Formats: sequence, C-alpha cells, structure tokens
Amino acid sequence: MALRSLMSNRTTRTHLAFLALPVVLFVTFYIYPIVSSIHLSLHSWDGFSPAMRWVGLQNYATLLGQPRFINAVFNNITWVVFMLVVPTGIGLLLAALLDRGMRGEGVFRIIFFLPFTIPAVAVAAIWRWMYEPSNGLLTTVLNLIGLGGLSQNWLGDPNIVNFSLMGAVAWWTTGFAFLVFFAGLRNIPTECIEASRIEGATPWQTFWKVSFPLLWPSTIIVLGMSAIDAMRLFDVVWAMTKGGPAYSSEVLATQMYDLAFGRFAMGQASAVAVYLLIIAAVIIMPYIYYMSNRVTESEAE
Amino acid sequence: MSSALQQRQTVLTRTILVVFAIVFAAPLIVAAITSMKSPSELTRVLALPTEFYWQNYLVAFERMGRSFFNSIAITVPAVALSILIGAIAGYPLAYMRGSSGRLVYFLLLTGMLVPFQIVQIPLFFLIQRLGLYDTIAGMWLVHTAYAVPFCTFFMRNFFASVPRSMYEAALIDGCGPTRYFWKLLLPASTSGLAALAIIQSRSIWNDLLFAITLTSSDSARPVTVQISGFASSLQVEYGPLMAATLVSVLPVMAAYLMFQKAFVRGLLGGAGK
Repeated sequence: MALRSLMSNRTTRTHLAFLALPVVLFVTFYIYPIVSSIHLSLHSWDGFSPAMRWVGLQNYATLLGQPRFINAVFNNITWVVFMLVVPTGIGLLLAALLDRGMRGEGVFRIIFFLPFTIPAVAVAAIWRWMYEPSNGLLTTVLNLIGLGGLSQNWLGDPNIVNFSLMGAVAWWTTGFAFLVFFAGLRNIPTECIEASRIEGATPWQTFWKVSFPLLWPSTIIVLGMSAIDAMRLFDVVWAMTKGGPAYSSEVLATQMYDLAFGRFAMGQASAVAVYLLIIAAVIIMPYIYYMSNRVTESEAE
Repeated sequence: MSSALQQRQTVLTRTILVVFAIVFAAPLIVAAITSMKSPSELTRVLALPTEFYWQNYLVAFERMGRSFFNSIAITVPAVALSILIGAIAGYPLAYMRGSSGRLVYFLLLTGMLVPFQIVQIPLFFLIQRLGLYDTIAGMWLVHTAYAVPFCTFFMRNFFASVPRSMYEAALIDGCGPTRYFWKLLLPASTSGLAALAIIQSRSIWNDLLFAITLTSSDSARPVTVQISGFASSLQVEYGPLMAATLVSVLPVMAAYLMFQKAFVRGLLGGAGK
C-alpha cells in the first residue's frame, strides 16, 4: 500500500514536470498576449510614441459604426458557412466514391490531396494566373467552349471577388476533408458494410445508414478544423487581393493587419482582434467543449 | 441488383472521379507549363511551350535568394520541437485521471480557437524585446509555441489509443514513468509522430502571417514572404513566378508522398479514438 502511494506520487510529480514547459509556453504566448491585446484595445496608440492614450471602449464603438468593419464580419461568417459546407461536402463525396474500390485509387488519392500541401501564397499565385481577365485559364476555357460572355473580371469586381477567392480555397482545402473521410471509411469494419449489403441495401442506403454514422469521428475533426481555419483565414485573401477591391474581400484578420502594420492604429487593430476572438469563441467554443467531454467519456468506458 | 445497373454505376462513379481529378490537377499543370514558357508564349495559355525556357528558373532562384534555405532552417527544427512538445504535453494528459488533467486539457484545447491575429501585435513587441526579431531562432520559438494546442490534442489522442496495459505492465516491472515515455511510448508511436510531423511541416513551411510580422531582412525571411512580395510587384512576370511557386511547393509535397502511409495510419490513430 505504501509502495503504491509512493509510486503514484512519483507518477503525479513526473506528469506535472512534463506539463511544465507546455504550460509556460502557453501562458507566455497565449494568455499574456491576449491580456495585452485587450489592454491595447482600450487605448489609442501608433506603436511608436512612448505614451498610450486611454480611450475606454471608444475603439469598439467606432468599429461598429464602420461599414468596412461590418462587411469584414459578414465576410468572416460567410467563410465559416462556406468552409463547413463546400470543401467538406466535396471531400465526403470524393471519399465515398473512391472507397468503392476504383482502379487507380492511389493516383486519385494523390491528385485530390496535393493542393492541400501547397503554401497559401503559391495557391494565390497560381489562382491569380488562372483568374487573369484577358488570358487566364478560366477566361480562355470559357471562350473556347463558346461561353466567353460569362467571363468576368474575377478578382477586380467587388461583387464576385469573394466567390473567386472561395473557388481557390475550395481547391486548396478539399483534400484535407477528403483524406480524413477516406481514412475514416477505410477504418469501418467490412462486416458492417457486408451485413447491410446482404440485407439488400443499395450502395446509397448503405452509405447514409451505415457508413456515414460510423464516420462521426472523422466528421468532427473535419468540421472543427474547417471552422477554426475559416476564422483564422488570412494568407490566401492577403496574397490574392489584400482585401480589395475597395475592402470588399476583407476579413477581420486582413483588416487587423492593415490597421496595425499599414496604418499603425494599434488600438483599433487590437479591438478588431478582440472582436474576432469573441466571434471565434462563440462559434468554436461549443466544439472544444464537446471534444473535451467526449474524451473524458471515452476514458470512463 | 442487376449487373448492368452495377456496371453503369461504376462508369458514372469513375466519370465523376475523373472530372474532379482534372479540375484538381489543372491549376498545377498549367502552373508547371507556364513556368517553362518564354514571355512571348505566355499569352497562349493552352499551348504547350515550344522549348524549355529555363531562364524562368534562373530568375526565380535569383529572386528567392536564400529564402528557400531560410525556410528549411526554420521548418526542420521547428517541426521537431513542436512534435516533441506535443508528445511531452500529451503524455500526462492521456494518463492523468481526475479533473485537474481535464482542466489543463480543456485550457490547452481552447488555444486552438484563438485566431493568431489576436496575439499578433503583442507578439511583435514581445519578440522584439527578447531580441529575437528577424531571427531564425525567433521563428522556431513562435512556431513551437503556437503548435502547443494542436500537437497536444493530436498526441494525447494518439497516446490514448495505445493500450493502457502496456503502461501498467511497465510500471509493475519497475520502469519509471519517465523511462516509459522515452523508451517505450515514443518508439511505439512513430506513425503518430510521422503524421504529426507532416501536418506540422505543412503549416510551418506555409506560414505567411508570423513570417511577415516577425522577419524583415533576407537573413531570416522564408520563401512564402518572398513569393508574396514577388507576386504583388507591379509588373508580375508569371513565368518566373510560377517557377518560384513550384520550387516552394516541392518539399512538402515530397514529404507527403514519402510518408503517405504513416500519415493515414497516424490520422486514423488520432481520429479513430
């Protein structure tokens, strides 16, 4: 008994020692900057002057009155919806089709996943070339098939620039959803699938009634990651449009970057960041809570 | 089900897959072809280049300068450090019982929802005060620190899928918890570590946000910043730009293709539980 409690004490101490470094990093690089951002957001500051001027909640109020800010919030929410639906849906479709045992499976798998491995700046460079209004691939192909009238100033028109960006992002991120779903489908015991076939279910029924519910762990990962990525979205928008034309494609992250490092309005930029954190918390916190509960449940089993 | 119907479905499935494969591959193929074209051939998008115009690659290498090597110097140690930290934090969280472990885990997980933008301004001043602004070591520190939540989440779930009996048996045999981690658990987790290494090398190699905020000179700038500057210059030369883009894409692509099996296995270990 004494030995046992000694061992468990030693185990606890070891566990705490293992956690020390990660917790120090977490406090230094998350907690401290967040507190500091909130502090900064209550001031007016250009980043250089020794004195910051206390302005209370004025930065927050100013932002709410700006169409530019409201538009960025709207864009961020649109991106969340888009990321939860489009890349996830296409990824699931491709995984389900490929799981039926196609010839050349390995090649398809690589082609679908490759775009995901590319840096955002490379995605931006490639798609800006695709979207060239006069001789980009998109316009060229539309002209070739006689639909030249449909071609647009893809990145220059405020009304369609967001759709153009979403096209590039769908191409970029679908591979992740695809691969996680595909791995998940391969993880489903074949007996389940065979049993439903023997019962006379069509492949369609088998997928929705048997495979899809068993894919729940993969679905959680994909949806959670997509929502987080959508809230953090920065690189592609910045590298493709810098938020333009006329701020139409701005998201909160690019707006914050422009305010902080382009206009040196550190206080207002921090207020944008705090708004972003609040919106992200509202959208993603339930997911994190669900995840950590699920983990405890699976341990109780 | 009749076999004719079944055959028609297979043809349909295959057609859909091929159409998607073409759509997915086209941008990369067009980029590769563009990188081989001379400026006069660029306007004919669908035509193949008449000859390999290698000047594009020369210009690309010149423009990239040492940024490509900076990217390697940043990514390799940062990936190693971040998966090590993830394993170190994930280990006790996978074995600890009770509410304190759960609280730490929940706290670390909430880090995943923090948009990096909220830390960006204070981080800029913090890194400057530490004397790590515009250094490669500063980038290691930042990438490692911001990988803590995801890597912990990933490794914790992976460790939780390793049979617990192995842990108990080792402790009964007199192996201490520290020795167990280094001698038994880590070697048994190579597929998880490899999968995480792939995910991390992608996100660190591809990072633009931290790089543009925390580096300013050629001595530390990674390739992503260089390409982004290249692409937004007034006169974009698409030939050299596509060449530079393809060169920047290759390392992570190669890593993925090499470790594909481990990646899928590790993902399953993490996602299955």
